[in-house]
Amino acid sequence: MTPQPEPAQGPGSLGRRLLILLLAPLGAMLLAGLLVDYLSSVGPTRGAFDRSLGDTALVVAAYLRPGSLAKIPAELPPEVAATLRGTGDRALRFAVRDAAGRLLAGDRDLPLPPTGFTPRSTPNPEFADTLLAGEPTRVVWYALALDSGSTTIAVAEPTRARDRPTRELVTVSVIFDVLQLVAVVLLVIVGVRRGLKPLLALRDQLAARSAGELAPLDERSVPVEVRTLVASLNALFGRMRAAAESQQKFVADAAHQMRTPLAGIQAQLELLERDPQAAPVRDRVRAVGEGIRRLAHTAHQLLTLARAESAATLERDFRTVDLPRLIEQTVSAQLDRALAKPIDLGADAQPATVTAIDWLLRELLNNLTDNALNYTPPGGTVTLRCGTVAGAAFLEVEDDGPGIAEAERPLMTERFRRSAGATGIGTGLGLAIVSDIAGVHGARLSIGAGAGGRGTRVRVEFPARKDPGG
Amino acid sequence: MRILIVEDDELVADALKRGLAQAGFAVDHLATAEQAEAALATDEFDLAVVDIGLPRTDGLALVRRLRHSGSALPVLIITARDALADRVDALDLGADDYMTKPFELPEVAARCRALIRRTRSATSAQLTIGAVALDLASRTVQLHGRALDVTRREWSILECLALDTGRVVRKERLLRAIAGWDEDLTPNAVEVYVSRLRAKLGDALAIHTVRGLGYRLDDPAA
Repeated sequence: MTPQPEPAQGPGSLGRRLLILLLAPLGAMLLAGLLVDYLSSVGPTRGAFDRSLGDTALVVAAYLRPGSLAKIPAELPPEVAATLRGTGDRALRFAVRDAAGRLLAGDRDLPLPPTGFTPRSTPNPEFADTLLAGEPTRVVWYALALDSGSTTIAVAEPTRARDRPTRELVTVSVIFDVLQLVAVVLLVIVGVRRGLKPLLALRDQLAARSAGELAPLDERSVPVEVRTLVASLNALFGRMRAAAESQQKFVADAAHQMRTPLAGIQAQLELLERDPQAAPVRDRVRAVGEGIRRLAHTAHQLLTLARAESAATLERDFRTVDLPRLIEQTVSAQLDRALAKPIDLGADAQPATVTAIDWLLRELLNNLTDNALNYTPPGGTVTLRCGTVAGAAFLEVEDDGPGIAEAERPLMTERFRRSAGATGIGTGLGLAIVSDIAGVHGARLSIGAGAGGRGTRVRVEFPARKDPGG
Repeated sequence: MRILIVEDDELVADALKRGLAQAGFAVDHLATAEQAEAALATDEFDLAVVDIGLPRTDGLALVRRLRHSGSALPVLIITARDALADRVDALDLGADDYMTKPFELPEVAARCRALIRRTRSATSAQLTIGAVALDLASRTVQLHGRALDVTRREWSILECLALDTGRVVRKERLLRAIAGWDEDLTPNAVEVYVSRLRAKLGDALAIHTVRGLGYRLDDPAA
């Protein structure tokens, strides 16, 4: 299977969609809440300060003894005035005027009440914002009826006196709202993540599969929403598995149907070659025998290739394979060829096991050994090696033959590709088979030079095993 | 030595018959498992070469029935299939060896000889490989009919290799064969005894060194 390119357009991430759809309205609601909080804390604060300012006007009024205009003191008692004036931000100023607007007591520069302001006016007291010596100021007028006539009391307070408490109140509610916003965002993010977990688990499960792994997914372990999707996937997996199995069966049958007549012809030619009566045509018989051997070899290689492709889907064929034992079997099987050439065929087998399809690994190692024996001249050395490095098993075949030019190495795994100096009955399928089989097992195939830069070393590195006990 | 070939393909059967006859065996051929079962029940054979893909009853079923009836006849299975499952099945069911088609006739003959030799060594004290005869009971060796003087350890190694003629015998196994439980021998000792054996056997038998694995004694007739 070739990796599909990422779709350029589409609904994008489900998680991102959910976050946007949840967070945008939530954020708007929280911002609205912030505004409401601001307004609802500023309003009452303003009311409270105004009430307090009004009270001050009433206190001043209490000092103006009713019934005697003449007796209105020009000044309030100093200690009362001092208390009223306050200190710092709450530096209050006041003015008492008669109906004609003449200053009876207090500060001259306080603004006059609105015209026609009498004790019967509503509202009484009356509030207003003004500028006093360039400073924003809140002023209250209170009119009361005295014997001497209507008298107004003005009390002024810089608005900065009320700014700080208002600011503090707003700050507290803003901090609280922001904390709430952060908490909600975090909860939504965590919630979306957790909610999507079964979906992500499904994705990981699918991503971790090898190309040919077609076991059905567990439909009960996924959310109801994607159960139909998983069921469809399982149906697809099932069809692919059935196709793979029927291909396996077809190839196995084809192998069977081809090998028996080939075996008969090959063995008959072998006998004919030794038959004294056939002596005059011995060379031709031998040539035909060679052709049949090549045909049998190619048929076997093609069938192996066809089976390797569909084998990956048959997970039941995977079992623990002991690599030293595989090497021993391969060396034993190829020893006669090596002795005949002669080539020193040997092993360096350290403990290593892999989860693999036994007969495919046998084909892999057989092909590598075959190649090495073919290309290495008489007197050469071929070594089969295996071992474990950091929990990962490797299989290696090294020879001291002519080697493969560096530029040619990446091309060697192409089908029907043969090295420039290739001779013998090779089909050019050997390394393609090795490459396919390595792929089936998730192993990495590398072709390099042997020890001291001479010859060829083909190495197959398997992924580290998850369960060493296997 | 009499061999029964059970194979339904005419061409293959004919080649096997001729090839094994040329290798010195007395050969009979039958095309079905049913016929083979009947023949094996009445006649004496040293070995059966059985194809798995027989019509009606297949070769594996024949082996299973044979073992079920208590027969210890060595069986060499021949098949056109190469899947591991077949191999496991065949050996589990009591077949003694396994070959895939197409095969080389000399190898078939060598396997037959090795199987018969191994079966006989279980019942008889005599083991003959080319010009060398081993008497397993008296632990003596004859070369070209004359007694060959070998030490106790040389004998042990030769016996191990001879019982598995044509197969690679691991060095560790040879070491265990010569090392008593109170002796500490290094693998080098095996090399020493093998080279002494080679010198004594001369050209009569070839003991190949398989680097990193062990040794293999070859049957000169193969």
